[in-house]
Amino acid sequence: MSDTVQHDRRHTLFGILCFLLLAVGWLWALRFTPSDEHQGEVYRIIYVHVPSAFTAFSSAGILCLFSLWTLLGRNSTAGLWAKAAAEVGLIFTLITLATGSIWGRPTWGVWWTWDARLTTTFVLALLYAGYLIFYSSMAPGSQRDRVAAALGIIIAINVPIIYKSVTWWRTLHQPPSIVREGGSTMAPEMLATLLLCLVSSLCVAAWMLVLRAYNLKLQQKLEQLVP
Amino acid sequence: MKRTFIQFQSLLQHSLMVEKANPERWLSPLLFAITVLLLFAFAFGQVEPQFIPQLLTAATYLTVFFSLQIAFSRILEPDTQDRVFEQLRSYPLSPIAWFLSKYVLVFLLGTSILLPTLIFANLFLNEGGPSLLSVPIFVIAWVALFGLCALGVLLSTMMLRSQAKQILYPLLYFPLTAPVLIAAVEGSRAHMVSGASLQNLMSNWLGLLVISGIIYFTLSLLLFGELIKPE
Repeated sequence: MSDTVQHDRRHTLFGILCFLLLAVGWLWALRFTPSDEHQGEVYRIIYVHVPSAFTAFSSAGILCLFSLWTLLGRNSTAGLWAKAAAEVGLIFTLITLATGSIWGRPTWGVWWTWDARLTTTFVLALLYAGYLIFYSSMAPGSQRDRVAAALGIIIAINVPIIYKSVTWWRTLHQPPSIVREGGSTMAPEMLATLLLCLVSSLCVAAWMLVLRAYNLKLQQKLEQLVP
Repeated sequence: MKRTFIQFQSLLQHSLMVEKANPERWLSPLLFAITVLLLFAFAFGQVEPQFIPQLLTAATYLTVFFSLQIAFSRILEPDTQDRVFEQLRSYPLSPIAWFLSKYVLVFLLGTSILLPTLIFANLFLNEGGPSLLSVPIFVIAWVALFGLCALGVLLSTMMLRSQAKQILYPLLYFPLTAPVLIAAVEGSRAHMVSGASLQNLMSNWLGLLVISGIIYFTLSLLLFGELIKPE
């Protein structure tokens, strides 16, 4: 059996496991966690929204790491991984914005408001999109890898500002309730389910990242073969 | 070190001479700023006095940001025309000297756009509200400019080899500068509405501007050398 077929099989198996874990997390969130005292059943979207947001922010960290590796290690493969991280980051940022909007309608009465956290998350989506457009607009080569890496580092710098925006600016968005001084304000059974959803979301993102980076490497090899 | 300083001096002198020989390069963003302010004045019409500080600061900083984007995006045009990037292969320049010369140039250009814009905004948009022309507002605007200029030079360098720089420059410039824009508007408004002093602002909005300025400047200085390396 060739290496490629073996790799594909391993990858498919990993993907199935990730989505199974995600399904278990969502099923647990819908069936076995209690309702929220104030928000009732609506709050359950938290099990998609918060893990997506965390994964979107983590993707920026991955983008930063691979960008640094590109610049310091002069590694063209790291540039492909950085691009894959930006693509995964964009998908999860869009999921975060969509689920946040759906959650905002019944709780705040509006689909969208120019709140600090919402605006900065939207800014992150624009930056991921800008990075990907920028990457596509340049001719392949070490110059593109270096410039895209520099941009990736700057985008990653934006993420702490987004995270801290809720405490710095006046905002409708609730303050951090999981990672905060004095411990989490969530009920332990809710927190456990949320952590399960978070882990499954990160696993799905890792699966997507590896799959996309592998595809990009294949694409690069093909481009090198065809003059 | 001495060599870097000499290179910085001559690069800055050369850049200033180019700007002096082509006044339309820095006059057009200024004229653009005045036009945008006039459009804002027409669009706002008669404004209730309590909304003036919010609208005034937001419109002024937006105008400055738009104009600076035009000025920044052209900053490396003379170097491209003079084929400086090709010449670097035979005569390597210090990236620090080059970055600092461009940075000082855009800071001077930015100031020449910022100051008249503040004056005109106060003239066109401020009807009886607290004045925009005060030392704390100038300090906030300059600190915002400190970070913006670094980002402007860096993005301009990044876009040199991009095939879609006209679209990409604003697409990246505006999202990246959004925290600076928000902090500058909120800081100025806090001073105008509640008379917050610079010491008070230093613990929130002005502090955020200083931190982002330092981050953008350091990153730009570190990354500039990587961006100008020949293929």
